[in-house]
Amino acid sequence: MIPSEAQIRSLTEKILNLSSADSAVVHISAADNANLRFANNDITSNASQNLLSLSISSNFGTRSASVTWNQTDEHSLREAVLRSEQMARISPENPEFMPPLAAQEYQKPNSFSATTAASGPDELAAWLQVAIDSTRAAKVDGAGFLTLKTSASAMATSAGLFVYEPSTVIDFSITARTHQGNGSGWASLQVTDSQNLSLKNTADRAVQKALDSRKPSALSAARYPVVLEASAARNLISLLLWSLNRRSSDEKRSFLNHLAEGDPQGQQLFGSKASLFSDPTYQQAPASIYSGSGLPCQRTDWIKDGTLRNLHCGRFWAKKQKIQAVPHANNLIMPGEHQSLEKLISQVDRGILITRLWYLRMVQPQTLLYTGLTRDGTFLIENGKITRPVNNFRFNQSPTNVLKNLVASGRPERVLGSEGSMPMHIPPLLVNDFHFSSVSDAV
Amino acid sequence: MKRRTFLHQATASGIIASQLSHNLVHAQSDDSSSVNLSQLFSTLSGQVLSQAKKLGASFAEFRIGRDTSESIHTREKAVQGVNFSADSGCCVRVLVDGAWGFAASHAIEKNEVRQLTQTAIAIAKQQQGKRLHVVNLESLNAWQDQWQMPMQIDPFSVTLEEKADRLLHINDRALAAGAKFCRSGLVQVREEKWLANSVGSRIEQSRVRLRPYFSVTLLDEKKGGFASRDSLAAPRGSGYEYFKEYDFDSEVVQAVEEAKEKLAAPGVKAGLKDLVIHPTNLWLTIHESIGHPTELDRALGYEANFAGTSFVKPELLDKLQYASELVTVRADRTQANGLSTVAYDDDGVKTAGQEFNIIDKGRFTNYQMALGQASLIGREHSNGCAYADSFSSFPLQRMPNISLQPGADDSVTADTLISDVEDGIYIVGSGSWSIDQQRYNFQFTGQTFHKIKNGKLDGMYKDVAYQGNSVEFWNACDGLAGPSTYELGGAFNCGKGRPTQSAPVSHGAVPARFRQLQVLNTQQEAGA
Repeated sequence: MIPSEAQIRSLTEKILNLSSADSAVVHISAADNANLRFANNDITSNASQNLLSLSISSNFGTRSASVTWNQTDEHSLREAVLRSEQMARISPENPEFMPPLAAQEYQKPNSFSATTAASGPDELAAWLQVAIDSTRAAKVDGAGFLTLKTSASAMATSAGLFVYEPSTVIDFSITARTHQGNGSGWASLQVTDSQNLSLKNTADRAVQKALDSRKPSALSAARYPVVLEASAARNLISLLLWSLNRRSSDEKRSFLNHLAEGDPQGQQLFGSKASLFSDPTYQQAPASIYSGSGLPCQRTDWIKDGTLRNLHCGRFWAKKQKIQAVPHANNLIMPGEHQSLEKLISQVDRGILITRLWYLRMVQPQTLLYTGLTRDGTFLIENGKITRPVNNFRFNQSPTNVLKNLVASGRPERVLGSEGSMPMHIPPLLVNDFHFSSVSDAV
Repeated sequence: MKRRTFLHQATASGIIASQLSHNLVHAQSDDSSSVNLSQLFSTLSGQVLSQAKKLGASFAEFRIGRDTSESIHTREKAVQGVNFSADSGCCVRVLVDGAWGFAASHAIEKNEVRQLTQTAIAIAKQQQGKRLHVVNLESLNAWQDQWQMPMQIDPFSVTLEEKADRLLHINDRALAAGAKFCRSGLVQVREEKWLANSVGSRIEQSRVRLRPYFSVTLLDEKKGGFASRDSLAAPRGSGYEYFKEYDFDSEVVQAVEEAKEKLAAPGVKAGLKDLVIHPTNLWLTIHESIGHPTELDRALGYEANFAGTSFVKPELLDKLQYASELVTVRADRTQANGLSTVAYDDDGVKTAGQEFNIIDKGRFTNYQMALGQASLIGREHSNGCAYADSFSSFPLQRMPNISLQPGADDSVTADTLISDVEDGIYIVGSGSWSIDQQRYNFQFTGQTFHKIKNGKLDGMYKDVAYQGNSVEFWNACDGLAGPSTYELGGAFNCGKGRPTQSAPVSHGAVPARFRQLQVLNTQQEAGA
């Protein structure tokens, strides 16, 4: 059971009362995790984790240091505060120091489900068995991960800020592979409330992909129109989001300086169908209501109809530039056009359907060029229909070009990407001129 | 089964009076700090193992872990972050009727540990009657031992001022040499583990690692654009002496000069070229194209959903010509300064004596293995490759230090290899990396790309990446430099498993030459 708001408030007050610094900031997170990994249609590890993290940043003038620890006995609290103060006193002055925030107005968090929080390893095992039964029945090898995380996080400052939020999240992903290793499929989901779980549907999608992708035929790497399923779209779009940074742009070392003359904010840099925003209370993908510095997270338009509307900007840089600070996004929403996947596919004469992307890494920051690969379901589209599975590809592609070349989009989904699990509600995308650089033999 | 409360320790009368206190003491002086956890370990391990046995475990393990870290991050004239972290906790792993159960908690306390054992047993028993296969463990030796990584200067004994001064000095030199921006930092970690198992092992271990870094950036004020060059200093399993003795003064000035040259350099023409690859780049290629494909759990499908499987199928053992005959690649968790170096792995297997060749004169000869895997490929026992990145993590098969062995002739250097290249590139430093989920197709960049024309270096290229297929790449190796050119690279953060675990690992290499590899122009790839 995660600690209540009253318990956490009491703990933060206890820590702040121990502080003799000019100012201090406390963060607490507590998590009760249940994890199930499975492979070859059997559970491989089955874990329960009871975790806690406390941190204090102590400040003397502009000197600052932080200590993180995970014990709550009196001596540990005292020692942690003392150590952070000792470290802060001998730390160099930080010309970019910003004092802790006072009390803020936050939205009401909605990323917690009491039913889900009451679940544990027993429920998890029962939910997963349905998925394993699907892969066994289809005579394919199922492998995947199901995790339930119930957590509470809080922040308090000596200037009077206090914020607490509980959350629950269930992540599930599954790979189905044929015994012969000649076909592979993948599917995933993420929910806040276990009542929205549909592991069987997710497993069945992965199984069908595996069966459909058997014996892929050879296709050369080239530039093709692609239909990126929601997971693949999520991967690429999130890479763009992380790079929307005001300070880098002002310092002339951002890809934005390559895209635009002068201040990129307010310029039409992407296709007119590209819109991205964050909203911590967005019902289909709720997220944390506060940022690491304590700023309230509000609905923020990043890109609206192709125009860059906002860049993330930290408090120091905002003060220096005399502009408003903009906290990092905690979730990302792309409204989409709600076209069906079949409708997107029907618009492609000759192109590729991509289920999942893998191992995306920055190649060239100047152009925001990323590389990565397709996996677990790559299909040729001809004359508006999927005609056959094809080999996987390596791509070299900038997510800026994905939004520049965006033709149409589907119904947003809350699925997982290859790495990271930030809540996102992203549609499948039809994108022109996607650059595949070489062929991969991997299945 | 019941879930536990998070604030258990705050309300418990508590065997553990002040865990952090000991962490903090430990951070400041190296004595006496382990006493508290050692005592707890002695007290609790017997309780866990007997309780687990009583509840039906055929194998049980109790582990306490404590990770202490300190980091300083700077930018130009400012110290932007000073952080200290001390996390401790414990876990119970049991095998019941061929199924694993695992439970972990930050609270190292009698009642909590009793609950952990019950939980681990219960979740293992959930699988009764539902499994297709059971886990079979090989026999394990029992060890009673204590091991501390040798080092000269404990980095936790060095003042923050000393570290911050050194880092800001690096930045000052970079700015004086013409850099527009410079960031630098030092991350240090102490990892301590206490392991007891039902075989009879009682093992205490402690090791330290360091990751110093800097990165300089220059702008082209006239044409626009920017270029960066990162430090070539590798993270190491070393004491503070490594940071102190590394010649950052010279390297940062060289880095600025190279970034200037890169900014003005012509883009490479894409096509086939010979490459001479420096160890500061090749370590990462070894990691991705040899290290990961030869993990047995991947080959058997256990990582299929995330990290992936492998093109190196078990039937290729002792058959696959992975590389040219020049190439021998050795796994060794006893290597000095190695990030994976430790006396016992997290399954309780002694690493000394388990060193092995993965590739022997080009031939694939062995996988990396953890407990319960060897019999699946007809081998007798694990080769000591288990690691758990925290007290709360289930041990997985992770990489030992995996290194390319030097060529026999010590007179051969990078220059010797370059002298036999007509049209090629000498690549130094690691950059971007990516490889497919079965480890065939890879793409890497680097820090600097030196043009080779008719056996000599002739300026620099920019916008370079090389692509290859693992087996074709290693079979294209036709030259290795000698032992005196050997360097250790590595990373703190190799990711694997779910929840993702981060493992430190080193890879040694010498300069090596590869014929006719595909080189890309990244600017053209971007369509810019």
